[in-house]
Amino acid sequence: MKSMPEIPGDPVDERVVADALFTTLYAELHRLARRELNRRGPLGGLGATTLLHEAYLSMSGTAGTVFVDRARFMGYAARVMRGLIIDDVRRRTAEKRGGLFRITSLDGEIGLNVSGPQALVRIGDALDELAQVDGDLSEIVDLKFFCGFSFAEIAAMRGVSERTIQRNWEKGRLYLHQALASARPGATSVHATHQP
Amino acid sequence: MPPISPDRWRVLSPYLDEALDLATDQRGDWLAAISSRDAVLAADLRAMLSEHDVVLEQRFMDRAVLDPQSALPTSLAGQVLGAYRLVSLIGQGGSGSVWLAERCDGRFQGRAAVKLLNPSLIGRVGEERFRREGTILAQLRHPRIAHLIDAGISTTGQPYLVLEHVDGQTIDRYCDEGALGIEARIRLFLDVLDAVAHAHANLVVHRDIKPGNVLVSTDGQVKLLDFGIARLVQGDATRDAAAESSAITREIGKGMTPEFAAPEQVSGGPVTTATDVYSLGVLLYVLLSGQHPAGDATDAPETLLRAILLSDPPRVSDAVARSSTGNVEANGSARYGSAAKRVRRMLRGDLDAIVARALKKDPAQRYSSVTAFADDLHRFLRHEPVVAAPATIRHRTAKFVRRHARGVVGIAAVVVLIVALTALYTLRVSTERDRAQREKAKAVKVGELLMTLLTSADPFAPRSTPGELTMRRLLDDGAEQVQRELSGEPELQAEMLTMMGRTYRRLGVYDKAQRLLEQALASGRKVYGVGDARLAQTLQDLGVVLGDRGDYNAAAKYLEEALVMRRRVLGRDNADVAITLSELGRVYQDQGFNDRAEPLHREALLIRRTALGEEHRETAVSQSDLGSVLRLNGDLDAAETILRECLATNLKTRGEDHPNTATTMGDLALIAATRGQYGSAESQMRSALAIQRKSLGARHPAIAMTLNNLAHVLVALGRNSEAASALQEALDIVQPVLGSQHQLVAIYTINRAAVHLAQNEPLAAEPLLREALRVRSQAPAIVPSRRRTFVEDSWSIGATKSLLGAALIALGRYDEAEGVLLEARRDLEALPTASPREIATTIDRLTNLYAVWGKPARGTQTTTSR
Repeated sequence: MKSMPEIPGDPVDERVVADALFTTLYAELHRLARRELNRRGPLGGLGATTLLHEAYLSMSGTAGTVFVDRARFMGYAARVMRGLIIDDVRRRTAEKRGGLFRITSLDGEIGLNVSGPQALVRIGDALDELAQVDGDLSEIVDLKFFCGFSFAEIAAMRGVSERTIQRNWEKGRLYLHQALASARPGATSVHATHQP
Repeated sequence: MPPISPDRWRVLSPYLDEALDLATDQRGDWLAAISSRDAVLAADLRAMLSEHDVVLEQRFMDRAVLDPQSALPTSLAGQVLGAYRLVSLIGQGGSGSVWLAERCDGRFQGRAAVKLLNPSLIGRVGEERFRREGTILAQLRHPRIAHLIDAGISTTGQPYLVLEHVDGQTIDRYCDEGALGIEARIRLFLDVLDAVAHAHANLVVHRDIKPGNVLVSTDGQVKLLDFGIARLVQGDATRDAAAESSAITREIGKGMTPEFAAPEQVSGGPVTTATDVYSLGVLLYVLLSGQHPAGDATDAPETLLRAILLSDPPRVSDAVARSSTGNVEANGSARYGSAAKRVRRMLRGDLDAIVARALKKDPAQRYSSVTAFADDLHRFLRHEPVVAAPATIRHRTAKFVRRHARGVVGIAAVVVLIVALTALYTLRVSTERDRAQREKAKAVKVGELLMTLLTSADPFAPRSTPGELTMRRLLDDGAEQVQRELSGEPELQAEMLTMMGRTYRRLGVYDKAQRLLEQALASGRKVYGVGDARLAQTLQDLGVVLGDRGDYNAAAKYLEEALVMRRRVLGRDNADVAITLSELGRVYQDQGFNDRAEPLHREALLIRRTALGEEHRETAVSQSDLGSVLRLNGDLDAAETILRECLATNLKTRGEDHPNTATTMGDLALIAATRGQYGSAESQMRSALAIQRKSLGARHPAIAMTLNNLAHVLVALGRNSEAASALQEALDIVQPVLGSQHQLVAIYTINRAAVHLAQNEPLAAEPLLREALRVRSQAPAIVPSRRRTFVEDSWSIGATKSLLGAALIALGRYDEAEGVLLEARRDLEALPTASPREIATTIDRLTNLYAVWGKPARGTQTTTSR
């Protein structure tokens, strides 16, 4: 956590620091989550929003670190958080033990026929695709679905209306639903395959 | 449907935006319209939309992976923030949560309310607002405002505010459960006005006054809470106006009804102190009648909003009638017992008019300030005619506007000040329609000006005394405008300059205060002639400032003229005459004329007791004045009796955090010290200091005075080094404010030097004494704030020279010492009020000199043989 690069305004620099930023953030979020786990156990654990804020504060508190834009930080951190959660889910499936987080969607269905760890992994992959198509949408999904921010919070963060966020969320999850459905073997039609 | 290609998605995306904003039943037509142009596009969109229906039906991804609600609030219990441990959640709202907390650092016991910012708002906007609440609260020190104890950021980055915890109930429930009568309710409400007036005087608008934010503690004290959405007057009119109305829309969205919102808050107009006046009006209406002014319209947001914007509420007396007859009989009788009919009669007329005035739709037609609102209620309680009575308003305001019509527009910036500081907001009031139009344009202009003024001074910049900088900036700009643009309007100019001069004086900026008041006087003399209450006011204010600056002769002259004028214009028994009597009496005391001062203070006390009552804050001022005269005349018992009364009144009317309470404590400490009870004197002085620091900021001259007296007591207790640092602090305070030529600076310097001598540091003492001597010889008779000093302290030239002699002896410069001491003795003996103690001290020093010097005494012979 010593030398956190700032999120640059210049897109050319972004790729240069992206790896370092990802690694640092990942480590920091992991550290915070582990601390919470040790302190309270997975059931009393704190929400991802709190985790992200803590990460933001601990990182922006580091000497010399100035984040240009908090909204961008959060969007980015949410993406890192998603990675952390999915890794956690993968690991717990492999090692058959409780992970860092209490993940709600492991208990029930996400909404597709798929449920549990597999669904999360697949959503994660689809989100990476969506990020290529429309980074805004994938970021909102990261914030809302993986980190549990409310529309109002995301709207406040980005300085746009709640309605805009909500509309983008609908588009984002529509894209993901569509992507997951079409990726299913033998799937030809959304309607045929996914009637509940 | 095959996976959608990125390119296709980019084409569809804007159409999806459109579609998602349509109601479901409109989508058919919309798709049909597209289909006629581009059938493939329409088919894709149709497929996407029906898939979206599936998404909604399946609640696809509705539940977040990590549930944010799961643990946050409860997990905070037990957490330690600063010196406090969170105990239980008191309340939670959108912007954060409030926790009951207990002090846990072992030093003190006590409860507090800790307010935490919602973590999702951490960052620019939310933190800014949170910081603003902290900054605003730090500026507000008032016994009726739940005060800020601490603020900080936890180790985990959570910003928090520690606030006074109020154990009590909301004001409406308190009134009803205690079955309080009309008068008791009004008195309680006046306490609320007092708190809000304090906020307004600090340029803070609360914006959210409602029973839930006005608690009455178990011991009957009113406390105003929650400055969460408060802000500086018209900080950014346009942006905030929009934010305001959208906030209200959101509230309605959440099913809440903004029952206490003013019309301009609903319609998105500029929010000013008049907005608080409106909400206070609603509160008073509810307290008096048990009904909301909008009646049943509060049931639904739409009807409520319409009522707020359009309907004139029924008279409050009629509302009581409604609530005590028909099916709400129980409510009415619970409220006032069986006296509902009598209550109705009490409310009818003046109280109806007062409440209606506060509830005017047009902010400009409401009370010009919370103080004006309070004044009218006081008038009602004293059975005097109220200003709100219709005929009177029309008459007065029309007259005022007529008087000032031309000057009004050019002085927008000044109007800004008036909004905050005085009751002259009536400038914007008009009875004629076209004038109202012009007034509205003017109000906008005022808003703009205020905006530029406020944004040019960063209200969050660190400053030594909270609130001071913004105020200074405003004043400076306003004063300049008044001087520049109102030269053709001497009457208005005089009024404005007087007001501003007084404000500068309150801020301790004496030179500027004097300059403005002198200009005001010049303008005033031109237009008012010799007998006018406003001219008397200017004369008095100028006299007081001159007194503060040590120019007692001029001060006395102006105050005497003011007294004659006020007696003639207002009558001898008027409460304003008492103010002038009191100020003049003080100047006489500073001149050393206790005998002249005493009858004035007695007369002032008598007037105030009669006109204002025994337990009035101004009556307490006269008690304090008289107490100091009695003490300096040596009548300690009488002085103590009256000062104790004064303290009781101050505590009751001003609360324990008021500077006047501190002053009285300080005076009582002087009595204790005079009696030799130094321990008790010290602790009283320290309490006084704590209050002064809290209420006046760290650098007010009044604090220096208390420190100086404390040093006297510390020396008597033999704690010289503590005395030295107290005096040094006093000097550090007064030097920048009063300038090095001020007598008070010289006096503290003499005292500082005396402590140097006691600490055996003559080298440090000598230059201080020489400098002090230089300043003292310019005005040897003057001891500022004489009434707050020890009777035996004279700081005369002779006494100072005597001290210098002692320093020179210690330095071994015997020759010089002898000359200085002999001079000192001559000076002391020549004083009209010769002090035997100081003469004796000087002779002792001479004797001591000759003993160490080994030279035969030259002057002692004559003296010892006397």
